[in-house]
Amino acid sequence: MMDFLEFAIDKFTFRTATDRFYSDEGVWAKPENTHVRIGISDYLQQRNGDVAFAEIKPVGIAVAFGDELAVIETIKVNISLMSPVTGKVIEVNPTMETSPEAINQDPYGAGWLVVIEAAEWATNLKHLLDPQAYFAKIKLEADQEVNKE
Amino acid sequence: MTDVDHTFKVIIVPCSGIGKTYGTVSREAAYNVTEDLRPKDTRLVALSKLVLGDEEARSVVEGNPAITIDGCKLACATKMVQESGGRIAHDYAVLDVYRRYKQFKPQGIAELNEGGAQLAQALANEITQVVDELISGRGGEDNG
Repeated sequence: MMDFLEFAIDKFTFRTATDRFYSDEGVWAKPENTHVRIGISDYLQQRNGDVAFAEIKPVGIAVAFGDELAVIETIKVNISLMSPVTGKVIEVNPTMETSPEAINQDPYGAGWLVVIEAAEWATNLKHLLDPQAYFAKIKLEADQEVNKE
Repeated sequence: MTDVDHTFKVIIVPCSGIGKTYGTVSREAAYNVTEDLRPKDTRLVALSKLVLGDEEARSVVEGNPAITIDGCKLACATKMVQESGGRIAHDYAVLDVYRRYKQFKPQGIAELNEGGAQLAQALANEITQVVDELISGRGGEDNG
């Protein structure tokens, strides 16, 4: 069973899964043997609203850390998502073609985006946040926004 | 209370979200259907009237099939029609409609961009088909 760190603001509860790592922008990376599964955090999906479309780099494409991996169009904005790992895309979530709302419904599960065959995981990991650090970052960010209002 | 039109009509209830693009699309589509495409067969009911418990609005909704158009997943239009004792013949979510018409990207709030206007038109056309089916008595009991 997945464990979460969570905080609530008003009616919204933001969860951070504790079994993976995060980029600053909220893209998660979960190592699975030699592969890394990628998706977006609950905080990122809730902040940006319902997903209309997800355009993801296809299988076979090589990406470096920081390269654009996907563009997600929501009812509010278009978000360009950077790859948190270097490697080759070996699987794209087929659900994204027909039901990209899975990103909103289950960001840490059925809403995953791609699986990458990681080439430099140990190096990439140095630039990612552990769940506690990411949780602290988004909580601070959210608290600051609330205090602005 | 004002006079209630008891003639069979399909009731159109759009989202009331002000300041939201998808809400605006829902209302533009509703106006298009009720004012231009099928004015004789449809009647627009403002969601706010149902929220406020307006007797006339509730009476109209209770006596006729309704098509709801929701601007977000809160689905206020659909929920309020149900709570008002109405029967939903078809419920639309603007986001789902947009997924079918990706080329019409809606933007703008008070005034929609061209994509938004085209999306509203496409939605209005879909609604019109449902209205025609309901009027001719061929279906619309349940859209699954």
